[in-house]
Amino acid sequence: MVDPVPVNHRSGFWFWPLWTLTTAGMAVAIGLVFLYVPDERVMGAVQRIFYFHVPAAIVAFFGVFLLLAGSIGYLWTRDRRWDHLALASTEVALLFCTIVLVTGPLWAKPAWGVWWTWEAKITTTLILWLLLLGCLMVRRYAESREVGARLASIVGIFSAADVYIIYKATVWWRGQHPVVFAPDKAGGLAPKMMHAFLTCMPVFFLLFALLIFVRYRLACLEDRAEAVLDRALEN
Amino acid sequence: MEREPPANAIRARGLTRQFASRRAVDGIDLDVPRGQALALFGPNGAGKSTLIQLLTLQLRPTRGSFTIDGLEPRRDGVALRRRLGVLSHQSFLYDDLTAAENLEFFARLYGVDDPRSRCRELLDLVDLGNRGDDRVGSFSRGMQQRVALARALVHDPAILFLDEPFTGLDPDASRKLCATLNRLRGDARTLLLVSHDLAQGIELSDRWIILRSGRIAADGVSAETDAASFESVYFDSLRRARA
Amino acid sequence: MSETGFIATCRLVAGKDLHLEWRTWDTSTSSLVFSLVVLVIFNFAFDLATVRELGVGRLVPGVLWSVIAFAAVIGMTRSFQLEQRHETLSALLLSPCDRSAIFFGKFVANLVKILTLELILVPLTAVLFDYDLLAVLWRMAGLLLLHTIGLTALGTLFAAIAVRVGRGEALLATLLFPASTPLFISAVKTTGVLLGTESTTSVADWLTLTAGFDLLYVFLALLTFEVVVER
Repeated sequence: MVDPVPVNHRSGFWFWPLWTLTTAGMAVAIGLVFLYVPDERVMGAVQRIFYFHVPAAIVAFFGVFLLLAGSIGYLWTRDRRWDHLALASTEVALLFCTIVLVTGPLWAKPAWGVWWTWEAKITTTLILWLLLLGCLMVRRYAESREVGARLASIVGIFSAADVYIIYKATVWWRGQHPVVFAPDKAGGLAPKMMHAFLTCMPVFFLLFALLIFVRYRLACLEDRAEAVLDRALEN
Repeated sequence: MEREPPANAIRARGLTRQFASRRAVDGIDLDVPRGQALALFGPNGAGKSTLIQLLTLQLRPTRGSFTIDGLEPRRDGVALRRRLGVLSHQSFLYDDLTAAENLEFFARLYGVDDPRSRCRELLDLVDLGNRGDDRVGSFSRGMQQRVALARALVHDPAILFLDEPFTGLDPDASRKLCATLNRLRGDARTLLLVSHDLAQGIELSDRWIILRSGRIAADGVSAETDAASFESVYFDSLRRARA
Repeated sequence: MSETGFIATCRLVAGKDLHLEWRTWDTSTSSLVFSLVVLVIFNFAFDLATVRELGVGRLVPGVLWSVIAFAAVIGMTRSFQLEQRHETLSALLLSPCDRSAIFFGKFVANLVKILTLELILVPLTAVLFDYDLLAVLWRMAGLLLLHTIGLTALGTLFAAIAVRVGRGEALLATLLFPASTPLFISAVKTTGVLLGTESTTSVADWLTLTAGFDLLYVFLALLTFEVVVER
């Protein structure tokens, strides 16, 4: 009897350490953001969203990079595990994209008086969100997981390759406007704010890693469960 | 000391196709010598169509290998496809083109010399010489299957795969198709026929095999098989395979 | 029997698609009528009568390219739906031809169909919105060609995907429009410059971007089409 996808049971061991580290890190980060940093001079308390908004955005785009890697890996080797990586990256990147698109307006309205502006970065994030959704839709509609994996890999590659071009195009589209949403560059942050930001970055990466890890294993187990069920039905 | 086996038209070893979790074709070994007509029987889901799709390079096998006329699919895919003709229960024809236009298109696609006269020749072969300029969409199902057969033969393939070609044909059309196929058998062409019609399958083949759950459950020589009692043989072998 | 090369296969497939189109006028009529309907709706949606006050370059490029995009989606979906009818796509794949050549043939046929549609739509907008097309004729043609190539390349591949998963225009639009955002922005910007109201942005930059986009995606599509259609 051949397993459709080998599930490395030993790798499951890593879940608890990763979870503990992420939870602890997040607790520290939340503590820093709400208790440690001072209010921003101009925008007030709402500026604290920045500490989650920006890392979420960075992590989302990193997820796209992983999606590209997983898609190419799957098309090259046809090993299902690459596809599971691609699927996990798609879903997790979509999640973080959603966080960016929700926290953005929540920050913008009190801070600058407008819910939305078609600024380059936020527009690119919105389009990325749509592209990722497209990948998931193709998977869902496909006649089998295998076909879905193949087609989603292609859409994934096209989308990932597109992200930079979209960004460039949206930057040119808006001309040389000063960018409303750009967080202050590193030099502009007070030292305490810098600490908080530099803590949030790795914590978000940890969260990202944890979610990818869980989703990846879930995908492996889903495959396995389907195999067991089908075999049972056959007999 | 073993002699080199003669080059078979079709030779498969351990051919397997997995669909996520279901094994549609499970470790099939097959040897079909040149010029033989093989009939494939089996219940729905037995893997007959999947086997044909594997052998015609429409699907990639998960495991195992096969050669056609000694050619390997991965290495010699193009040359291999040149040797195959496929007739399916789908007609593979464009409704809004005429029969002649359809055939000419595929003839040119296959690089056939003098496509026009080849198409006329084929239309005559399938008894549609006077309907060449009519839209295929206006044809009856039986006539469409005949054009489809002509299409399958347009490049004079050495091996012909027929996947349930009698589906949806009335008795007269069925008989005509049968007659045409019998004529083809004389050309030293290799035939692989999937059919639900047991009697017709026996009549048109030299050998037969029964597939069940992706494996060969039984096989036999058609000449030695009584068409009338074949039905009980068929159900017997299925029952045995299930055990 | 001779081998059918890449170009010969493209010509055959494109020729067959265009021949079918010539015989049935299937795609052209539905795209054209649809475009006209959308144009009328845009008239009510944006009160296009104000165009003369705002200046032609403000609204017309957006309206024109939206209509082209929607019509293109319809056309490209149909080009693969017709291959599903009697599984003729499988027949094409059974032949010893290069799959990329099959894609390129479909791409060329779609390109011709969409360009023909634009040949009717653009003069129509010149009439409806009263701008001097003849003065910018060749440059307009160049812009149309450059941007349509990219849209068609991406659209043909995504159409193959959308039809493969049993969906049609809606999924194609969902996949195509976000991915072709740079094309769309470039098209609207450069057409706007051409029609005079848009301030002179760097047209050369946009054209370079679009040309690069076109090359990249024609290349990627040629590479990956085989994977889309294999079973």
